[in-house]
Amino acid sequence: MENSDTSETSYSLPSLLCQENEACFGEEEQDQYMNLDPCLFSQSEDEYIQSLVKRETKSTMSSDNRSITNQSWLKRARLDSIKWVLNTRAFFGFQYRTAYLCVAYFDLFLSRRSIDNERFWATGLLSVACLSLAAKMEELRVPNLSEFPVEGYYFDNKVIRRMELMVLETLEWKMLSITPFDFIPCFINKFCGESKSKELVSRTMELLLAITREVNLMDHRPSVIAAAAVLAAFDGQLTRKTMDCKMSVISLWGSRENEHIFSCYRLLQEIEMGKSKTPKQLISPNLSLSDNSSSIDVDESSFTSAVGSKRRLIYNDCDEVCQSAKICHR
Amino acid sequence: MGDGTTATSNRGGGGNGGSGSNKPAWLQQYDLIGKIGEGTYGLVFLARTKSPSNRGKSIAIKKFKQSKDGDGVSPTAIREIMLLREISHENVVKLVNVHINHADMSLYLAFDYAEHDLYEIIRHHRDKVTNPIHPYTVKSLLWQLLNGLNYLHSNWIIHRDLKPSNILVMGEGDEQGVVKIADFGLARIYQAPLKPLSDNGVVVTIWYRAPELLLGAKHYTSAVDMWAVGCIFAELLTLKPLFQGAEVKATPNPFQLDQLDKIFRVLGHPTQEKWPTLVNLPHWQSDVQHIQGHKYENPGLYSVVHLPLKSAAYDLLSKMLEYDPRKRITAAQALDHEYFRSEPLPGRNALVPSQAGAEKVMNYPTRPVDTTTDFEGTNSLQTSQPVSSGNAVSGSMAAGHVVPNRSVPRPMPVVGMQRIQAQGMSAYNLTSQAAMGGGMNPGSIPMQRGVAAQAHQQQMRRKDPGMGMPGYPPQQKSRRF
Repeated sequence: MENSDTSETSYSLPSLLCQENEACFGEEEQDQYMNLDPCLFSQSEDEYIQSLVKRETKSTMSSDNRSITNQSWLKRARLDSIKWVLNTRAFFGFQYRTAYLCVAYFDLFLSRRSIDNERFWATGLLSVACLSLAAKMEELRVPNLSEFPVEGYYFDNKVIRRMELMVLETLEWKMLSITPFDFIPCFINKFCGESKSKELVSRTMELLLAITREVNLMDHRPSVIAAAAVLAAFDGQLTRKTMDCKMSVISLWGSRENEHIFSCYRLLQEIEMGKSKTPKQLISPNLSLSDNSSSIDVDESSFTSAVGSKRRLIYNDCDEVCQSAKICHR
Repeated sequence: MGDGTTATSNRGGGGNGGSGSNKPAWLQQYDLIGKIGEGTYGLVFLARTKSPSNRGKSIAIKKFKQSKDGDGVSPTAIREIMLLREISHENVVKLVNVHINHADMSLYLAFDYAEHDLYEIIRHHRDKVTNPIHPYTVKSLLWQLLNGLNYLHSNWIIHRDLKPSNILVMGEGDEQGVVKIADFGLARIYQAPLKPLSDNGVVVTIWYRAPELLLGAKHYTSAVDMWAVGCIFAELLTLKPLFQGAEVKATPNPFQLDQLDKIFRVLGHPTQEKWPTLVNLPHWQSDVQHIQGHKYENPGLYSVVHLPLKSAAYDLLSKMLEYDPRKRITAAQALDHEYFRSEPLPGRNALVPSQAGAEKVMNYPTRPVDTTTDFEGTNSLQTSQPVSSGNAVSGSMAAGHVVPNRSVPRPMPVVGMQRIQAQGMSAYNLTSQAAMGGGMNPGSIPMQRGVAAQAHQQQMRRKDPGMGMPGYPPQQKSRRF
C-alpha cells in the first residue's frame, strides 16, 4: 500500500506503541520468544518453519488481494480501527500477537466482503468482533464483550456476537492464521545469533504492530513481514545488498519475496525514523462519529460479499435481527 | 483438508421472526431421532440425513450450549471447529457440517455418527461379559488410536484430553470397527512457543494426565497425549483405570497429590537420574515433604497389567509410561514397535477378532437414545425423561461421549453429565457375522516409513516424520478386516 498523498504525521512510533507502562510491557510474551530450548533450533526447527511457510502460502495468498485500501474512507476506518485495537490491547494487557491477529482477521474479512460506503460503525463493530475472536484464540483471560471500551457507539452484546459469527463464517472458521510472531524466535536466531536480546524481541514486536498501519496484511506473507521486522530491529542500516547476504542463511523464499522483504524493511526504516507517511488527518481519537444517523440496524446487507458480483448475503430473518440488534450512537 | 466440510449459514425459519416455532432450513435436512448425550458443553443428538444421496445416514449433532450473553461465541466451540476443519484422517472424527442457527445464534456441529466408544466397550467387558477384551481388538484399537494421534501430532495438534470416552469406534457399516478420535474442545495447535496449560482453566479427568502436568509443568508437549494412550492401553488390558486418583477439586489447577501417589505406587519414584528436568517442575520443588519425602518401593507395572516382563506389549506400555516426556515414546515410534508386528496383527475392523477362520463381530450394545427430547433440548413429553443416575440397569450408559466433548474447559464436566437409561437394551452377546470385506490395508490407512531413528525428538516442537504415513506393519500377512 502506498500513501502518496500524505503529509507528515504526528503519530510517530513512540506515541503509537508506548501507551502501556513498562510493567505490562509484554514481559511474558518476550520471554516466550527468548527462553526457548536451544534444541528447538535444530533440524526440526527448519522443518517447522518450512511447514509454516507452506501453510501461509495456502492461506494468505489465495484470496486475490482485493485490497480494501482503494477506498479512502476505508483506509481511514482501518487506521481508526488499528488505533483502537492497539489501545485496547494495552488496556487489557493482551499480547502483541493478539492485536496483530486481530488486524489480520480484519483485513482478511475485508478482502472477502465489502462494507457499504462510510459505514464507520461497521468497521468499528468489525474491530471489536475481530479483537474478541483474537483474544479467544490467544489470551488466557478473555474479557466480556461489554468490557470492550468502544467509544462513540454502543454495540449490544448480541450484535457483537452476531458479528463474531459473521467473521467466523467469512473466514471459514480458519482462525489459525499464521502471523509473523510465529517466525520471530527462529528468525532472531538465524539473523542475530548470539546477539539476541530481550530488547531485540520487543523492538521486533513493536515494529510488527507498527507495520499493520502501513500495509494491508493480505498483501504480504507473514514470514516476509517477520523477516523485515527482525532485520529492521537488529540493524537499521542494511542495504539491499547486505540484506540479501543476511537472507542467504534462510532458503525459504525466492527473489520476489526478497524484494518484498526489502520493501517492508524500508518501510520499517521510515517508521523507525519517525517519518511514517500515514496522513495526519486520517487519525481520529476514537471510533469515528462521522455517521450521523442515530440508530443503525445491523444486518448482513451492510457487509457485501466481495467475491463475485455484488452477491449480497442477507439474513432471511432480517426482521428479527434488526429488532434485536441495534447500534446506537451514544 | 477438511474436505467435504461445508459450513452452512442457514438463516432461521424463513423470515418469520425467528421465534423458533418453525424449523430452520438446515434442520429440515435431518430427521431427529433423539438425544444421545449431554454435558456441560451442551447436547448431542442422533439424527438421520434426509438428502437423497445419503438418506438414512446416521449423524451425531452436537449443539453447543448457549454461552452467556456477554461471552459471544464460545472459545471452545471456535477452537474445536477450527481444528476439525483443518484435519482429515480416517482415525479422527469427521465434521460434516457446521450449522449456525441465526435466530438464536446457536451452533450445531454435525459429525459422522459412531456407535461405540472405549468407555462403553471397557465397561461392557468389565460389568457385563466379565471377560477380557480380545487381544486382537486391543491391539487394533491401540493401533488405530496411535495412527490418528500420529496424524494429529504431525500436524502440530495436541489433543490434551484423551480418555476412553473420547475414543469412538464405528458400528455397523463400511467403517465398522474403525477408531475415531473425538472431542477437540481442548485440543491445541502447538505453534511455538507453547503456552501454559492453564489456559482456559482446564479441568479434565486427571486419571490420564501426564506426570509433568501433575507436577506443574508450564509447557506441555505432544508427549502428554502418549501418556494418556499408555493409560488407555492398560485399561483396555485390565478393564480398570490404571491410575485412579481422587481429584482435588479446587481452582485453578490444584496440585493433584493423590493422582501422583497412584502413579508412583505403580511406577516407582521418579528420579532425577531418569528424569533430569524433574527438579525444575514447580510442584516437585514446592511439595518436597509429600512427594519427595515418601519413598515408593519397587515398581510393579507388570503385575498390575498382568503382562510378562519380556512381552512386546509390556515393553510398549512401559515406554508410553516413561516419566521423562522427552524419553517417552512418540506415536510414530509406537506404531513401529514390535508389538504391532507380532500376532495377532492389528486390523481395520477392531471388532472382528478372527480366530481359526471363524470371524465374529463383537456385538457391543448400541447407544441408548432419548427420543423425548427435541433439538431445543426441551422435553416433548410431560413426564420427566428417563434419566437415571448411577442406575445399574443394563444398558444405562454415561451419555455424552458420542461425539466430542464430555469435557470442556469449564469446571467438572463429568459431574454435569446426565445418564440416559437405555431403552430395550438386550444385545449383550456375541453374534456371528460375516466379516466385512476388504483387502489389505484399505487405501485410507497409509503406510508408515522408517521412524525408529527418531529416538529423541520428543521436543516441544518435534516433528514426526512420515506424516500421515502410518500403516500396518511391514510383514503383513493376509488378514481379513
